[in-house]
Amino acid sequence: MKKLYFFIYAVVFIALVSCEKSSDSSASLTNATGVGGSLAKFTISGNYLYAVSSHYLYTVNISNPSNPVRTNQTQLNFDMETIYPYKNSLFVGSRTGLYVYSLEDPAVPKLIGEAKHGRSCDPVIANDSVSYSTLKGSTFCGPATSGLYVYEVKNLNLPQLKTTIPINEPIGLGMSDSALYVCCASEGLRVFSIKNAYAPVERKLITGNNYIDVIAYNNILICWSSEGIVLFDITNRLLPVFIKKIAS
Amino acid sequence: MPLPTQLSKVWGYKPVYGTETEAKNISYSSGARPVISGGNIYAYQNYIFQMEPGTGIHVIDNSTPSAAVRIGFITVNGCSQISIKDGKIYTNSYDDLVVLNFSNLNNIEETSRLKGVFTEYRYASPIAQPPATGYYECPAFNKFVTGWTRDSVEQYCYKN
Repeated sequence: MKKLYFFIYAVVFIALVSCEKSSDSSASLTNATGVGGSLAKFTISGNYLYAVSSHYLYTVNISNPSNPVRTNQTQLNFDMETIYPYKNSLFVGSRTGLYVYSLEDPAVPKLIGEAKHGRSCDPVIANDSVSYSTLKGSTFCGPATSGLYVYEVKNLNLPQLKTTIPINEPIGLGMSDSALYVCCASEGLRVFSIKNAYAPVERKLITGNNYIDVIAYNNILICWSSEGIVLFDITNRLLPVFIKKIAS
Repeated sequence: MPLPTQLSKVWGYKPVYGTETEAKNISYSSGARPVISGGNIYAYQNYIFQMEPGTGIHVIDNSTPSAAVRIGFITVNGCSQISIKDGKIYTNSYDDLVVLNFSNLNNIEETSRLKGVFTEYRYASPIAQPPATGYYECPAFNKFVTGWTRDSVEQYCYKN
């Protein structure tokens, strides 16, 4: 059934980290850990690598890279799609909702919160108070309404859906400071102001490529499109300026 | 009319198998390689990495974004994911976790390998699927697929 493998990428749940992840994004080049996109199934937090497959969350201690050791493998009944680290938590996007794991014991993540939505595809990013995820309610992903879903996550045990913004075919997303970037496949890349975190306002639509995922990295927005890697200068977060397309 | 005893064959993809040693060999080649089916992206220092699910990792030098360029490709069969810390690339090769030292690009070394750790990736690794839609010969579960070739195949497995 892994025919669905690539379509499952479409289910990215992004919990946006305005501090951690954007400190990743705005961090210096000597930053010890890199930054992945919102569709990632691997992530490193501290001395641990966390990985998801459809039904498992794997934890590997990498404090000694020459001798990595698996410390945990948890089986779950929901189809996990993406993983996003924020501080002492992991946000896991799945086809059925957003799940929050505590890393109080980093060797053995513990499920502490969840927000279920209609069956759908979804990635996530998050920060201290808000998490954004995109749901793609099309063919493979079930009946939920496609769009940007905004959750309040002040209480990690009980994420609250604050608002939804209908968007066709949203996929990966990323954020930096007061800007949220949402990839919308052939429709383009949408730039939202999130000065009011719970009420994103669309400021710009950049067309011309089939956008899949983004990484906000320092002042550069790195975009994965079907046509190649597209780079924008985001010194002004809400007004990306095209730099270069590295064609596939 | 007798019922057909077997499905008629069609033009499709047939797996190419390698030994485990061949399939899991890590290597680096400099220069750009075309992106066939681009996967996840990852940023680390002045580099951008993009997965080529099933076959490896494209390396882009982003020291000067306006002149960013593909500089090489790390062959990692069965890969799909990437994360990097302290100069070590963590990726998967089939169901193995592979740790690569990329401090010297021309001498990519396998620092370590944790075999079979990602149980569910064994049959979910991208290379278990051919590069295009259509019928393909279902790969044998006990072998390592290293690529695909066009051939006449039975209509058992289908990629959407």
